[in-house]
Amino acid sequence: MPDIVEIKNMSKRFGPTVALDDVSLSACSGEVLGLIGENGSGKSTATSIYAGMQKCDEGTMLFKGQPWNPLSMNDALAKGVGMIVQENGTVPGISAAENIFLGETAEFTNGLFVNRKKMIEKAQNALDRIGADHINAALPAGALDFQDRKLVEIARVMEKNPDVLVVDETTTALSQKGRDIIYRIMEEMKNAGKTVIFISHDLDEIMNRCDRLTVLRDGKIIRTFNSDEFEEGAIKAAMIGRELSGSYYRDDYEEETESETVLTAEHLNLTDQLIDFSMEVRKGEILGIGGLSHCGMHTLGKVLFAAEKAESGTIKVHDHTYENEAAAMKEGIGYVAKDRDTESLVLEASIKDNIAIAGLDRIAVKKHFIFRKNENRYVDEQVASLSIKCNDSSQYVSTLSGGNKQKVAFGKWMGRDSQILILDCPTRGVDIGVKQSMYQLMYRMKQEGKSIILISEEMAELIGMSDRLLIMKDGRLQKELKRSRELSEADVIEYMI
Amino acid sequence: MKSFRKFFVLCLSFVMMLTLTACSSGGGSADADPTQKTVKIGVLVSDTTSAEALSFRSYYEKYIQSVYNVEFMYSDELTDAAAEQSAIDNFIANNCQAIISFASSDRPAQIEKCEQEGVYYAVATGTLTDDQYEQFKSYSHYVGAIGPDLAAEYQAGYDMAKHFLDQGYTKFGMFTGASVYFTEMHIYRAAGMLAAMCEAGKGDYSGATGYDIVGKIMADGGNVSTGKIGSVEVNGVVSGYDFDDAWFGKLAAVANDPNVDVLLAVGSGQTAFAGFKPEGKMLGDIDCYTADSVALMESGTLNYLAGKFSASIGPIFAATLSAVYGKPVRTAEGNALALSQGYWIATDAEMAKKYFEVDSSTTNPAYTKEKLDTLIGASYDDFAKFVAAYSFEEIQK
Amino acid sequence: MKNKSKNISAKLMEAAPVAGLVILLGIFLAIAAAKNVNIPYSFKNIVNQSIITMIVATGAIYIYTLGAFDISLGASMCVSALVGAMAYNATQSVVVMLLVCVGCAVLISLTSSVLASVFNLPVFVTTIAMLSLLNALSLVLIRVNGTGDVIQVPAMAVMKLNTVWFKLLVMAAFTALCVLTFNYMKLGRQQKFTGGNPLCAKLSGLNAKKLSIIGFMMAGLGVGLGAFLTITYAPTLSRNTASSVGMDVIISIVFGGMPVSGGARSKIHAAIVGALSMTLLSQIMLMLNLDSGISQMIKAVIFLAVVYVSMFSSRKTILPR
Repeated sequence: MPDIVEIKNMSKRFGPTVALDDVSLSACSGEVLGLIGENGSGKSTATSIYAGMQKCDEGTMLFKGQPWNPLSMNDALAKGVGMIVQENGTVPGISAAENIFLGETAEFTNGLFVNRKKMIEKAQNALDRIGADHINAALPAGALDFQDRKLVEIARVMEKNPDVLVVDETTTALSQKGRDIIYRIMEEMKNAGKTVIFISHDLDEIMNRCDRLTVLRDGKIIRTFNSDEFEEGAIKAAMIGRELSGSYYRDDYEEETESETVLTAEHLNLTDQLIDFSMEVRKGEILGIGGLSHCGMHTLGKVLFAAEKAESGTIKVHDHTYENEAAAMKEGIGYVAKDRDTESLVLEASIKDNIAIAGLDRIAVKKHFIFRKNENRYVDEQVASLSIKCNDSSQYVSTLSGGNKQKVAFGKWMGRDSQILILDCPTRGVDIGVKQSMYQLMYRMKQEGKSIILISEEMAELIGMSDRLLIMKDGRLQKELKRSRELSEADVIEYMI
Repeated sequence: MKSFRKFFVLCLSFVMMLTLTACSSGGGSADADPTQKTVKIGVLVSDTTSAEALSFRSYYEKYIQSVYNVEFMYSDELTDAAAEQSAIDNFIANNCQAIISFASSDRPAQIEKCEQEGVYYAVATGTLTDDQYEQFKSYSHYVGAIGPDLAAEYQAGYDMAKHFLDQGYTKFGMFTGASVYFTEMHIYRAAGMLAAMCEAGKGDYSGATGYDIVGKIMADGGNVSTGKIGSVEVNGVVSGYDFDDAWFGKLAAVANDPNVDVLLAVGSGQTAFAGFKPEGKMLGDIDCYTADSVALMESGTLNYLAGKFSASIGPIFAATLSAVYGKPVRTAEGNALALSQGYWIATDAEMAKKYFEVDSSTTNPAYTKEKLDTLIGASYDDFAKFVAAYSFEEIQK
Repeated sequence: MKNKSKNISAKLMEAAPVAGLVILLGIFLAIAAAKNVNIPYSFKNIVNQSIITMIVATGAIYIYTLGAFDISLGASMCVSALVGAMAYNATQSVVVMLLVCVGCAVLISLTSSVLASVFNLPVFVTTIAMLSLLNALSLVLIRVNGTGDVIQVPAMAVMKLNTVWFKLLVMAAFTALCVLTFNYMKLGRQQKFTGGNPLCAKLSGLNAKKLSIIGFMMAGLGVGLGAFLTITYAPTLSRNTASSVGMDVIISIVFGGMPVSGGARSKIHAAIVGALSMTLLSQIMLMLNLDSGISQMIKAVIFLAVVYVSMFSSRKTILPR
């Protein structure tokens, strides 16, 4: 098979950071090439350069054997190389249709005015074609949830019928339905003799979907595995440069002894998100909550933290009700939101600012006064105990990798010694090493008698970590599953769909 | 952190070095002949864009500065008393020896400050009220004021209205400018117009005639009302400087009112009415001589113009410079100047053109250096006589 | 090593506004020496001209930190000064005048923020409404209580307070209060965090409305003190009093190195550094006797350059992954 994508000796620096160091890789037609590596390993940088998002410092690129120097992402897409990015790639203030035809509205003008009807029709067709027919192309992108915005982005790329498609860690943010759409597109492209470069943190997923797998670490190519060489341990070792020690998830399966109930929610209702939903959380318990993306579990997390109000029903912690986030915090509740960058952190603020903010009442002397010494001690404890990789705590969060950002979000609540922690997709976009340390952290907290409500779209994680698992569907509690060695993903999926 | 501190220390040393340099070069040698040293004069202005303000500035900067050893330092547009104080501070810091003021938010405060700081102060194109003059006339650094006094403003309004009344016009529309902001100059001009109407129409303005009309307008919050004055009618009045659609709308309505034959403006009439005025109607204005106003007179849009001439601020400059040179012009009692100066009046394009040619000249203006030189160190009587002969013909003589 | 150099350059960037001020001071002194300017008087003049902006801008930092904006600061100061002057004329007491100035300004600020809170509007919107209202109010106050187009306090009454030392004392007291609440109390941390990401702040238990009301109150306090000092400096007040304050405040804050979008980079000393820099710049241009149009253009260019540099420096720190 001829090589469609060729990258030769590519290097790229961001100031003092070496993002890519003499990277060469290639992908041929009819192939799905996987790229895997820890955060900051250079996989997104290499592919984003190929897709026209930025320029490399050194190296050459070829596309179908011809020199390849795209001017921009739009230029690359027009010429046959499309990319679906990891972060949000849509413009919120304009419609889904306008997002799909971003910069190309001229196509729909008759004289002065844009023929919106025609554009929406064509955009709807593009959405329907990828299987996202539930999205209304006329709605503003800001009104769609993360998954649907991603699908709009996919429709935008697929509308151009590219020869090469780069999928950059998109699937971790998507529910099963969204993932299925991407898997189908990848399959169709492969069958049509086109090329897919697939980046993911999910080892199972990447081994299932790819023909070859290239591992990057610290901006260098470590090894390329052919499908017959795929072996989890070897790939993980190549990724992190050492063998993973200890278990990935927790490995205890003993029967939980009954402990006191710390939080009870009864008959919660909130439009179509929560319908007569009741639950309780016990001391020292990891309570998993799973379901499809729209099942209401993310809303439940917000309602339990009093960030959204249920229309009816009660929530109590030790028989106390609470009305808002501050009151929830006083009851010992902490909440790590799903959308880390927009809800859990202030990116343009330091690690210190982010960690200290939830614990100001603990740092304050005489209720109001904050002294730097106390604040630093409080923050440094968290930075050390969570092993946050940084120069010092005054470093801005925006400069940290995804995993370290998530650790900061954890630190915010660990610092104030939250007794009940609501974690909404805590390992989204986090590499294996960090993921493992987070699971270990959760387990440690459990052992300290803290309660964790783990909301997740990753079934393996839910099954691996939860003492009890609540499956939600359409806002209702569908099934409660106990921790067991025998529990399989198939068992869980049965109740989700 | 260390290098950070070093950087600051470096910066500070740099500043200290400059401070020392600055202080050591502070004392200059005193010149025996005051005319050999450039005299810095600060000019306070509340208007930097009108044609009148520009023509005054042009006279000082393009003519006076080129023929005298002086340097003018202009303020920004001053809109309130605090800005005036700041500007005076700026001038003093920059070693201005005198200040000529066109700004009037708080004249007493300006005079007090200059007296306190030992800087000569003069009022151009305006006068103090009688009470103010009594208070400040003996201040050693108060040079005085030369410009149309309020009686002259009243007279300018009176003459303009009378000009049209004499031609048999009886239906008027008025623009009273800043009267609603209690700008006395505009209130007096409007009162003068109404007084002329009272005489011609044999009636009264809300019970008042003559100078009493001033009090009436003041009592009405600076507003002039429409209505009949004997056989004369005022059928539309616009005031303020809102420059919004509603303001322009009102002006257009008055200009086009079939019951208005003559439009009279206390100032800025060309801006206010000229754009809307239909043919056949008359327009009179009190303003200054510019290329635009001459063109408007030629086209028949403007029919009467009482204008300040740019060189009218020459005598106050001469008085100020004379004071700086140690030869202040004072009355026999040792008091400051308080002289009135009227307008040049053009009733046709020919006159306007003639006035404008002299007024806009930067080489041979109405008051040339030769004429102003006679005022430096002049006696009060000679000075007063010179200012009183302000008409175009007298100056040209 | 590279990290260290990056750290130093970030710190230099942080120190740029102060360094800018020092450089401006250097240029000022150099030109002043060359032009034989009265330097002691100039310094007094610089304090006089910048102190009101410093105080109002320092208070306004609380608003800007939240990422909010108050367009009615100047109008609020004008009305507060007018009401304060009326209070003096009624009672002959400078203390009453001070209390009324501050009370009135705080009340106006509170009205803006409470209205925004009650009607769930961006506070900027209510300040626009306030601007019109206050402009109309100042005209009414002058018409009803004034002489001609002004309201005056006898110059003799406030002359004693019109000294550089008194002004510095007022500023020191207010700045100390602001530094304490902003740098050493929960309030400042919470304000910065809310400005950085309101949604995240909400999910961290912060009450944006309460913070906004407190922020506006502090700004009101600054405006009130500014109004009081305006009366002592120029006791003749008109509808144009303080008309340039709103713009001066925003320029000072930007010159002081604080992003107008607020957030973590907000700092209380930005107002002081910025106001001093701006006044020095004006003084330099005045000494060069530049036409005011050209001065404005130069200021505009420097303003844009400062905004660009501060944005550029913050952009550079974000590495794509």
